[in-house]
Amino acid sequence: MKKVPLTLNVNSEKIELTVKPHRTLLEVLREQLDLTGAKEGCGEGVCGSCTVLMDDKPVRACLTLALEAADTRIVTVEGLAQGGKLDPVQDALIRNGAIQCGYCASGMVMAAKGFTLSGAEPEEDTIRKALSGNICRCTGYQKIVESVKEAAISPAGAETRPNLSMLHKTDKAGQFEIVGTRMPRVDTRAKVTGGAKFTADLAFPHMLTGKILRSPHAHARIVDIDTRAAENLPGVKAVLTGKDTSGRKWGVFRYTVDQQFLPTEKVRYFGEEVAAVAAVDEDTALEALGLIQVTYEELPAVFDPMAAMAPDAPLIHEDFPQNINIHVPINVGDVEKGFSESYYVREDTFTAAEESYFQAEPYAVVAKFDADGNLDIWCPNAGPHMKSKPLSNALGIPLHKVRVRKITIGGHFGGRSEIAPADYICALLARKAGRPVKIVYTREENTVSTRQGHSMITTIKTGVNKEGRVIARDITCYMDGGAYSSTGPIATSVPFLSMEQAYRMENVRYNGYRIYTNKPIRGMIRVHGRSFACGIDTQLDMIGAHLNIDPVTMRLRNAREVGDTTCTGSYVGSCAMKETIVKAAEKAGWDKKIDRLPPYHGIGIGCNSVQTGFPMGIRGGSQAFIKLNEDGGVTVVSGVVDNGQGNDNMLVQIAAQELGLLPEDIQLVTADTELTPSDPGAYSQVSTFVGGQAVQIAAQNAREKLFDIAADALEASKDDLVAKDRMIYVKGSPDKGIPLKKVVRMGLIQGRGVTGEGGYWPKTDPKREWVKNPYGQMCEAFSYGTTIVEVAVDPETGQVKVLDVTAAQDVGFAINPMVLEGQFQGSVAMGGQGGMLTEYHFWDDKGRVMNPTMLEYKVPLAVDMPNVNSIIVESIDPKGPYGAKEAGMSIAMSAAQAYSAAVSNAVGVYFDEYPITPDKILEAIHKKQNLT
Amino acid sequence: MRLPRFEYLEPKKIGNALDYLKTYGDSCRILGGGTDLLVRMKQRLCQPAYLLSLKSLGVLEGIRQGNGEVVIGARTSLAAVSASPFVREELPALHQAMESIGAPSIQRHRGTIGGNLCQDTRCLFYNQSAFWRSGKAPCHKAGGQTCYARQDSDRCHSTFQSDGATALSVLDAKVAIVGSKGKRKIPLPDLYSTVGEHPLTLEPDEILTDIHIPIPQAGSSSAYKRLSFRSAVDYPIVSVAVFVRTEKAVIREARIAVGAMGRAPLILLQAAGKLNGKSVTDAQAMDDAVGQCMDLASAFAVDNVGATVDYRSRMVSVLARRAFEEALAEIQ
Repeated sequence: MKKVPLTLNVNSEKIELTVKPHRTLLEVLREQLDLTGAKEGCGEGVCGSCTVLMDDKPVRACLTLALEAADTRIVTVEGLAQGGKLDPVQDALIRNGAIQCGYCASGMVMAAKGFTLSGAEPEEDTIRKALSGNICRCTGYQKIVESVKEAAISPAGAETRPNLSMLHKTDKAGQFEIVGTRMPRVDTRAKVTGGAKFTADLAFPHMLTGKILRSPHAHARIVDIDTRAAENLPGVKAVLTGKDTSGRKWGVFRYTVDQQFLPTEKVRYFGEEVAAVAAVDEDTALEALGLIQVTYEELPAVFDPMAAMAPDAPLIHEDFPQNINIHVPINVGDVEKGFSESYYVREDTFTAAEESYFQAEPYAVVAKFDADGNLDIWCPNAGPHMKSKPLSNALGIPLHKVRVRKITIGGHFGGRSEIAPADYICALLARKAGRPVKIVYTREENTVSTRQGHSMITTIKTGVNKEGRVIARDITCYMDGGAYSSTGPIATSVPFLSMEQAYRMENVRYNGYRIYTNKPIRGMIRVHGRSFACGIDTQLDMIGAHLNIDPVTMRLRNAREVGDTTCTGSYVGSCAMKETIVKAAEKAGWDKKIDRLPPYHGIGIGCNSVQTGFPMGIRGGSQAFIKLNEDGGVTVVSGVVDNGQGNDNMLVQIAAQELGLLPEDIQLVTADTELTPSDPGAYSQVSTFVGGQAVQIAAQNAREKLFDIAADALEASKDDLVAKDRMIYVKGSPDKGIPLKKVVRMGLIQGRGVTGEGGYWPKTDPKREWVKNPYGQMCEAFSYGTTIVEVAVDPETGQVKVLDVTAAQDVGFAINPMVLEGQFQGSVAMGGQGGMLTEYHFWDDKGRVMNPTMLEYKVPLAVDMPNVNSIIVESIDPKGPYGAKEAGMSIAMSAAQAYSAAVSNAVGVYFDEYPITPDKILEAIHKKQNLT
Repeated sequence: MRLPRFEYLEPKKIGNALDYLKTYGDSCRILGGGTDLLVRMKQRLCQPAYLLSLKSLGVLEGIRQGNGEVVIGARTSLAAVSASPFVREELPALHQAMESIGAPSIQRHRGTIGGNLCQDTRCLFYNQSAFWRSGKAPCHKAGGQTCYARQDSDRCHSTFQSDGATALSVLDAKVAIVGSKGKRKIPLPDLYSTVGEHPLTLEPDEILTDIHIPIPQAGSSSAYKRLSFRSAVDYPIVSVAVFVRTEKAVIREARIAVGAMGRAPLILLQAAGKLNGKSVTDAQAMDDAVGQCMDLASAFAVDNVGATVDYRSRMVSVLARRAFEEALAEIQ
């Protein structure tokens, strides 16, 4: 294919190149001009992450041919900051804490810039509309909209590298200077200027493009794979099939070992990996895939979990009869006796289709071996140490030669925790080809071939006393796990555990079943079990209605309290659940609204709790190191990973606070398995509690040593010293201190070099196991949250407009209130707005997801999202760093519950099937009208 | 997602464009904004050997008035059509349709009105990647012999979801076409074949050049209502355009078109006819008219846009009623 000449004007620079006609502007920017700010989040013009300006108008670079950009002025995010001065939009986004994972940021910035250039009125409505073509999965859009409004109204611009020490205010009258403040995140600047590197942005010399061939059948035996034609295609440097692997199976748990990274015998879901190639470019790799001949023998497939358990159902895994992957049995107290003593008993069943993560960043892997056989690998992850060990096992090389590197990650939400076949495949291709290999998933691959949420059928039988206090509960839950186990035991347990943490229940029986089907693999997801959580809460409303008890009162009467022990045996050290209920109800005006709203308006409440950690064996703790430079700068080395939620910034705040330094003095080395010690990862919600605490302890350790030296120099007692504003001084005499950097130098001269080290291991019950022994101390702290939502339903169309959302969460201690607000807002978007109103997968009869794309799977847009009132409640947990505990997940779950309750209240019907789409609402309204 | 390979043609004059089209015929596709075509090419639903860009054919762009009509060049961007004060005031249905398409500040600058009218029909079973469609027999629209949206049907039931076409169908629009055999001008509805496999009646060597819309008489108005899952980005799952002209509070002329239910906008003359001669406050007549819209439209719809036929059908009457209410209020 002949290349043609093209002259582009990009960021005011005239560039002459040659391109193949079928190259898009996005590909040319990213691959030929090294401008990787614009991203390919979907490739079909929906997500907006590829937005650039063409003659001052925002356009989709992924749907614009490079040749069509001739004779136009293209501006990318890299070209916005002028002479070192940030654009007002970029500056506002940083100051308002509006960016989280940052994958959508480049596109969002350019769309916002297009808006400000258009001269349109910067009202909230017009801004939301202007940004509705940019999909963000993390933030819920609220702070982005605020930032764009600010930038449009007062476009003063700002110097780059704002002096962060000037920006944070002390929120807690003198208690802490750095933690507890609304500090802008340290990672935002790189994200809004297009400088942050995600996996697909990486490029190395001689790098090859890898592509994976996937099964077009949901269940089939692999009879033969003929790769000869693919191997002989010029430009192809490596081809892999299951024959190139040991064929060993892998599993997250010893008792869930069921997956080969490249199957040798059969495929179990549509989209499963079957073969892979690495070639000199993507066109060649795609062509090579087309030349691989796979002979399949189709097998009967099963797609419904109940059908999968039937005696005549096709067996998906030999070792798992009836296709039952996991059974979690919990039995506490005496459930039957409890029911017999109950004043009112009812049983209801709730179902929910599966939902999906739709992280903004499609999965990608880059693998590279060096001359000494060390593997460097980059991929989105929720804990690099969770990837390195299985890779080490599978590749047969020791851990110290497997280096999972730090990379900017575009969202996780539970779907990137464990090793993926692509990780192993990419490494194997790199080894075989002797060159670096990059594999980038399409949006469809990310949806089908990574993880999805479980669909669930939950039957809940609850008995209460006259006051509505729950006496006994019996819950059975069937979950569709898809073709492999993944983190099955965890996913089967957490929906129940969240509710036993949130509400008191002494007599409880829970039977959770995860069933294999020939569907894509399901994993842990931020909204753990819509039908479960919404079921428990909706049933409380139903019971309350029967007993004439208000929903808020029902929650208060059943709420967890500090000092309790959960029914599976976890002591609750801090709990402000009731405070979150009361404060949310007050802010939302519950008393004035309940039963007093206009027809088809409704208000609902949801409460939930999330564990801050779970037993992780050798991965349970985190260690950190601190290195001090002789000019007073510091490097913190920690295994904590940042998926976009703000963990890097959290470490900076903690280290600066403990050492009396400023945030700009702190450098981070994180989430790198060569350099950083083991850490539990982000998916058990312990990044702050365990990882942050390890850094706190390491910083205190360094401070101790600094004080030893300073005490001598100041002729004072170590116990009287404080470290603040880069100085060390005796309490009360800040003018008579020594600069910290001087103390460091003194230490180096005296042979007392200062480094810090520390670790934190939560005390959990080591005998607690998900399936065999689901009892004992689960973790050291639990978060508690309440969301209240007010909606208006259009009775003619069934469409829902959300009028008001209030989210209150007991976070223990707010290390950064601005970051927390962002978490609450994003949680409402994912769990509530999307999770309850529009998000679900539907299928054809052969196990294909009908809606794998950003167009057909409906993630909320800026124009549909309500504003969220955030209420931070601090119970100061005795074990958490500064009292902090989990804060990123509880609201996602309580929001789902509140949305469900609010819509139910608006229509006067309790919905038991989720999501609650307009057609279901309309049907319920008609049914009700026909009955009355 | 990568595009398949093709040769890129950028004619500087219409004549050259027509020559290319004549030479390459069916192996050549016209590239306007590319927001529909390029996605389908990435999915390998079509792989033309040639793309003919309209980039240098500025003559196809612009909005001009004269001779009692407004003429919109086919290559005019959706944003420009929407921003036109004339369109906003005189052709509200068209303005509302333009405003509803895609994402406000993104598709609208590249997407063209001609492209919107000439978009392909869609179906959830068809508009999927090449990989998704592998491992099963191709459907009628993909060159095969089966339909997945309606079991065992002998024809394609893909859905036409163009907002622009539905709105223009009630505005008495005509489209000007030029080809190797010369020029022709046809009423917009004649542009559509209602055959799912080949939804347009354009010959391979023809280009749509302009849209001609008569300036509406005084005492008339129009409205366009559509439903989608989200308030932007999504294609409509059902839509209704109406035009109404009144005289002394009596409806003299009514037009109704329903979109996203069939293979072309459904022009419901009979239902609209129920309103002629009726008072603007005749609730029974309105009920009858919108009820008949629902009945007529539901026969055409198939479950292939992500919402049930039942729901979309019911919404036809809701949207029709709301569209008429708005158009009638606008006349006041």
